[in-house]
Amino acid sequence: MFNKRKILVFLSVLGPGIITANVDNDAGGIATYSVAGAHFGYSLLWTLIPITVALIVVQEMVARMGVVTGKTLADLIRENFGVKATFFLMLSLLLADMGNTVAEFAGWASAMEIFGVSKYISVPIGAFAVWLLIVKGTYRFVERIFLIACTVFLTYAVSAYLVHPPWGQIMLSTVKPSFDFKPSYLLMLIGVVGTTIAPWMQFYLQSAVVEKNIKVENYNLSRMDVIVGCIMTDVIAFFIIVACAATMFVNGIHITDAKDAAVALAPLAGKHASILFAIGLANASLFAASILPLATAYYVCEGMGWESGVDKNFKTAPQFMWLYTGIIVVGALIILIPNAPLIPIMLISQVVNGVMLPFVLIFMLLLINNKDIMGEFTNSKTFDIIAWATVVIMVVLTLALVVSSFF
Amino acid sequence: MPFFAGEIFVSEVYKKPVLDRTGEEIGKLKDIIVAAGEPFPAITTLVVAAGRETYLFPWDTVNLFNRRVITVNARIDDLRAAPVSSTDILICRDLLDKQIVDINGAKLVRVNDLELGDVKGRLCLVAADIGLRGLMRRLGVEKRGEKFFFLFKYKLPHKLISWHYVQTIEPKVRRLTLTVSGQKVSSMHPADLADIISEVSQKERTVIFGSLDVDTAAEALHELEPRVQVDIIDDMSKERASDILERMPPDEAADVLGDLPEAKAQELINLMEKEEAEDVQELMEHEEDTAGGLMTTEYLAFPPDMTVEEAIKELRLEAPDVETIYYLYIVDHEERLIGVLSLKHLILAMPQTLLSDIMITPAKTLPLDAEQKDVAEFISKYNLLAAPVVDEEMVMRGIVTVDDVLDFLLPTASRKKRRKR
Repeated sequence: MFNKRKILVFLSVLGPGIITANVDNDAGGIATYSVAGAHFGYSLLWTLIPITVALIVVQEMVARMGVVTGKTLADLIRENFGVKATFFLMLSLLLADMGNTVAEFAGWASAMEIFGVSKYISVPIGAFAVWLLIVKGTYRFVERIFLIACTVFLTYAVSAYLVHPPWGQIMLSTVKPSFDFKPSYLLMLIGVVGTTIAPWMQFYLQSAVVEKNIKVENYNLSRMDVIVGCIMTDVIAFFIIVACAATMFVNGIHITDAKDAAVALAPLAGKHASILFAIGLANASLFAASILPLATAYYVCEGMGWESGVDKNFKTAPQFMWLYTGIIVVGALIILIPNAPLIPIMLISQVVNGVMLPFVLIFMLLLINNKDIMGEFTNSKTFDIIAWATVVIMVVLTLALVVSSFF
Repeated sequence: MPFFAGEIFVSEVYKKPVLDRTGEEIGKLKDIIVAAGEPFPAITTLVVAAGRETYLFPWDTVNLFNRRVITVNARIDDLRAAPVSSTDILICRDLLDKQIVDINGAKLVRVNDLELGDVKGRLCLVAADIGLRGLMRRLGVEKRGEKFFFLFKYKLPHKLISWHYVQTIEPKVRRLTLTVSGQKVSSMHPADLADIISEVSQKERTVIFGSLDVDTAAEALHELEPRVQVDIIDDMSKERASDILERMPPDEAADVLGDLPEAKAQELINLMEKEEAEDVQELMEHEEDTAGGLMTTEYLAFPPDMTVEEAIKELRLEAPDVETIYYLYIVDHEERLIGVLSLKHLILAMPQTLLSDIMITPAKTLPLDAEQKDVAEFISKYNLLAAPVVDEEMVMRGIVTVDDVLDFLLPTASRKKRRKR
């Protein structure tokens, strides 16, 4: 029997983990999974299980640090690794996230173009909407909106259902690893894994856990939140790959981004599947376009020691609000400039993210194993081996993605 | 006794080589241990790291301690490694980069750097640097940063919070709290108090102001920026606001009221005692940046036929209520200014002398509509502490004291620094 009170407590803890994991399926993530499905069919589905495990391992540590210390990742880095490391980390990540935000607005613009809305209309409206949400919203309200955005991802499940894929074959490919040494396959594999873990996610998750003020007694529920979120994210990724594989791969159609995928779905699987796919993309992009600047504002302010939080306003947390506003405005403006060099901007942000990831993950591992900070909540020996192995693999694959993006 | 020079920032000595008596390098300065003490923690020990070993040097074995060289009275061959005890307070480990919060837990800033200074012959931790300048010093680009900002005609300010206002420290603190509450606040200088008040949130200001007695509040209020003054007055009950305004010198009260919406200002004036209200009302009629707007109506005026002895007696009675006692103004029965006398001349004169015999006449005067710039030049030209303001009939209306025009005379940057701290 479920205990009613327990469920209520769980619902109150729920949020940060699910939201952070879902933003992983942002414009870039959806594009990667679409291309993976369209070009390689079901042969990459098996990677989703190890990806989910890696995501859970990393995110669980961050959530644990947030709950146990009551401090955010940026706080801990500043206090333990000094001002130099913090400053350069923040500066690089600020640049990287600027670029990422541009990519999210680009995704939003392209999704709205499918519905015939010009980017000169969709981008300002989208930017204003996400800005207003944080500036006027309280933490509880904002979190609810974000959780609703998470459920919109289920459109991909419906999309996949509408294309009537061969479920038996799909299930087999999911659990049975296959491998191919073709360079294009390896590149795609690196792409799929490399987009999984980004530096900003760690900062955002821990800040959200801290702002939510989750108590140590409820930590196991917070862990559930992370696990549910990570599984949900990769289930969505699974449906994206399936929808594209069952249609485009079978018919040999090549695509380059998520918008192509949505458009290509229409003749193959019907208008509804295509529209649902586009709605998913629009939602994911705008969702990420709000979270990324938010995460950035959080960690920069925390690193510097300024007041931060969604519940604050321009008077109580001026730097936080202005940073958030600034990143959104600049990100949206870049999209609106005709012939802006979008590809180089996104490339640079991907490179900076990839280069910074090892630092962030290694700082995290050092912090979580510091008894002065974590007390009895440091990693257990077995978990620590898994964590280090995961981090090393993720770092290698992310750096491989950075290198491959130049070719 | 160790020799140290002036003020030193921790970032300037951190990781600097520490030399032994013969000039051989022992290791690098890793941390500094302080003793918890009120109000400034004194340095007790230097922690020096050489490879994996740490050595402790009590402060009395240190010979030289400055940003260029640190030497200790020891021989490198006789050293014995010693670990830091768990109850020690290490300023780099425990204080640097920590969050500073105010009494309500709202985050203000982080400790970017720490300042060490001489307190009664001991080197103590005296202040936390919370500004951009401290941050750049930590990054090793203070000089370059200064030059960079100079391109934009911006002088990088020092932003220091005296350790006075920071809670007593203990090992492994999670964060540092400012102790701007209770007794400490009322013993602070009003200008310092104003600095802190402009840092904290509006809610706290109201709390802090509520805890002050009327006189302290009156002094602190004037030091604040007009915008903050208006906020505070708005939050207070009208009765308390008018009480505080009564205690302020009339010119300062008029300044504050001048920034309030007219209806609110009038309401407060009506609540004030009649005499003060009239003074303030009169001052408010003048343009803010003219002699009339800058002046105060409280000054010492004496008739010409008074003797020096009587004047000194009178002076003792009136002095507590006036801003400046260095000048005595001699006025006739219609309040017209006929001469001026400095306190020095008064005291040096024989007791039975009449004021009219020793006064300087005619006195240098300013018209009511003299502009701020002219007032400042006037005061500076005649080297005055205060200048009398008269109307067309030479009737004395008030005095402008030097501190009323000091802000105007200071270069903009330093004025900003003082206000913003």
